[in-house]
Amino acid sequence: MPLVDGLNQPVKAGPKEFEGLHLVPVPDEEKPAEALKWLDYYRKERRSLVMAMESCVKCGLCAEHCHTYLGTKDPNNIPAGRADLMRKVYKRYFTVQGKLFGKLVGAEEISMRTLEEWFSYYYQCTECRRCGHVCPFGIDTCEVTMIGRQILYNIGMIPKLHAATDVAILRTGNHMALTPSGIVDTLDFLSDEIEEERGFRIEFPVDKPNSDILYVPSSADFFLNPDTLKGAAEFFEYIGANWTISTRITEAGNFGYLSDQTRVQRELVNRVWEEVARLGVKKVVWGECGHGWRAAKMYIPTMSDYPTRMRVPITHILDEVAAYIKAGKLKLNPKNNFRAQGLPVTLHDPCNYARACGLVENLRVDLYASVTEVREMNPNREKTFCCGGGSGVLFDDPEMYQLRIKFSQKKADMIRATGAKVLCAPCSICKAQFHAMIPEHKLDVKLYGLIDLVGAALDFKGHRQV
Amino acid sequence: MPYIEVLGQKIEVDEDGFIQDPSIWTPELAKELAKMEEVPEMTEDHWKVVNYIRDYYLKHGIAPMIRKLCKDTGFSLKQIYELFPTGPAKGACKIAGLPKPTGCV
Amino acid sequence: MKYFLVQILPYFTVALFLGGIVWRIWRWMIARIVHNITLSPFPSNWVAAILWILWQMVFFWNVLKFDPWLWVGAWPMHVALFSILGGHVLGIYTLGTQFHLLFPWLITEAQSEHASEFLGTFFGIIFFVALVYLLVRRLTLTRMKVLSSTSDYLHLLLLLAISGVGNYMRLVEGAGVTYAEARTFLAGLFTFNPQPFPDNWFFFTHFLLVQLLMIVFPFSKLMHSFGIMWERWIVNRPYKEAPLGLPGVKLRLD
Repeated sequence: MPLVDGLNQPVKAGPKEFEGLHLVPVPDEEKPAEALKWLDYYRKERRSLVMAMESCVKCGLCAEHCHTYLGTKDPNNIPAGRADLMRKVYKRYFTVQGKLFGKLVGAEEISMRTLEEWFSYYYQCTECRRCGHVCPFGIDTCEVTMIGRQILYNIGMIPKLHAATDVAILRTGNHMALTPSGIVDTLDFLSDEIEEERGFRIEFPVDKPNSDILYVPSSADFFLNPDTLKGAAEFFEYIGANWTISTRITEAGNFGYLSDQTRVQRELVNRVWEEVARLGVKKVVWGECGHGWRAAKMYIPTMSDYPTRMRVPITHILDEVAAYIKAGKLKLNPKNNFRAQGLPVTLHDPCNYARACGLVENLRVDLYASVTEVREMNPNREKTFCCGGGSGVLFDDPEMYQLRIKFSQKKADMIRATGAKVLCAPCSICKAQFHAMIPEHKLDVKLYGLIDLVGAALDFKGHRQV
Repeated sequence: MPYIEVLGQKIEVDEDGFIQDPSIWTPELAKELAKMEEVPEMTEDHWKVVNYIRDYYLKHGIAPMIRKLCKDTGFSLKQIYELFPTGPAKGACKIAGLPKPTGCV
Repeated sequence: MKYFLVQILPYFTVALFLGGIVWRIWRWMIARIVHNITLSPFPSNWVAAILWILWQMVFFWNVLKFDPWLWVGAWPMHVALFSILGGHVLGIYTLGTQFHLLFPWLITEAQSEHASEFLGTFFGIIFFVALVYLLVRRLTLTRMKVLSSTSDYLHLLLLLAISGVGNYMRLVEGAGVTYAEARTFLAGLFTFNPQPFPDNWFFFTHFLLVQLLMIVFPFSKLMHSFGIMWERWIVNRPYKEAPLGLPGVKLRLD
């Protein structure tokens, strides 16, 4: 369903997905009224939404700092304009000026057309928060996008990709519907690969009781990014950890966070604590995933239904690696890095690490110690641009796919400007986006995660097994 | 729900043409699905890949990791893309009758 | 009619202005800050967070950093606006002797009046010019045209009208009113003891437009002056990182 009234839209979820989500979609004619009810609810619930609705002065500063606007030049992709799709309705029904003056102050009645616009543009926003970073008031349009998506979810307007992924989450605890047997078989295959590469075997413990550390990898690693899993295993092996991967929470990401924060996101949060209790875990270590790490680090503390005494600390694997590097405990040999192979590497700062999780300098601690040459992108760190696939807009219907190419234009130019031959993107969505976009933009780079490169530089000589 | 007409039968597919019920898959159906994925004719090499994916799916309930697919069939990723221009996840898996992959792919 | 507009309406205006602001802020406070959505790099404590918010408010740091051409108009406009507001209060209350009262050993009353006149004129012109700049920017840049609704232009035009009339009274000999005349009238308003309104149509227009601005203020985007504090309170807050180091490993951090 590419074009609805001239709007680019991803394919919408159908009866099969609704059944899996136990969701009864609201009939079309009742959708506007129902959406309005939810907007009324959220304006009393989320201060971030109220402030975004009521503080914008339309200074237009955000426009040139948003990769979706830079790529499409569509006014509704200016962060202020995108928020305005909701703001005009908000003004009409919840403000004095909107009720009195209507169109004069930019207020507008809600209609099915409005909701179709929401569906189109809230699924073009990649929730990268660059607009929040540059806004003089700190208005976080990401919050508007999230509430917009939540309202659309509640009334039954969900992209098929997100809905199908949400169904997989509820059923299996990961995005890709990985089965325990599939997980074990894949990890076994990776152990074989490590044995070929290094001459000794590293096992991946799965569902091992009495483990100290629960490692939560991204499910996409089991399909697309084998080196990320191997890198993590090499690190845990090196430090002699008693670790495990759980088949019930094999997901560092959280598509619930990107579509339904009330139930689907909570499902993965609860699964973490269930597995912590089941496996006797003392610390949870998160794998490479941008939005997932934000969902874990910033949302789990306020979203958990489990009592605090049942919780354990959650940290990110790249933070832990950096702590070990700073303490001088890891012997890393950049010259022998068999994944980077001495090629110049550039680092893509995932938006959620950079602007929501404070994971910026530690990425550099890890990378600079692991490879021979790093070429920084410009702009980088908290000013980084999104890969263009953020918040799961990895749609493959032709029109949306074309938009993904446009969204990633800015990033592609930046990568090309560095002249690097290896692109390090420590985030599963970024990796999925780049896997498709590297050929589209004819970039000459190899793609790796960051723990992949750390693992490859680890020198096991004289250490434990060798 | 959209349908495709194959061999006189109505087959339920989703908007992207993935068959909805993996258990109805037959080699004849695969040939028809292949035409939609820019594979005009299923050669022996195509069958090798498709059968491997199909067997793996029946055994483990998921699609095989791409690198494992390459290794076990002996094709490089480039050759897989030559065989299936729309890619291993969306092309080959579709012909093998798997559901559409979800999540970060 | 005129009597109503200058002697009675002001009380409603002020009530609406103050009441409206309190009402708006009360509405903001109903909703909660549910999750910690602070922007990184995180401030390490509340002092650092508040300093950062103040820094943003005083210098419009993000505007300067990310859109200098906007800053050229926006920052002088706001600085002039606050100087003018302060000047109105102090200048009229002290009849222009505010600098003398602050530094009696340094500045004489006459000098203070000159300074007051000069600064008022200076900031008045800056304010006007900056507003024109912002209006032209809104009218010419494509991205601004598509973003703006009618009220965005009207706000600017209202401010332009107020400052236009104000500047006219200042710059044209004999067009304005003296500090003393204004003070007598305003003191009357404040003490509920009506005094005659200065016989000057420019002053009347100025006074009326300001009332209009005060009525519009709480029900418009002009509330961003308070909004910035409430918004940044959400996105600029400290965060304490969890301690690093893994349990039960053979290679320990310490």
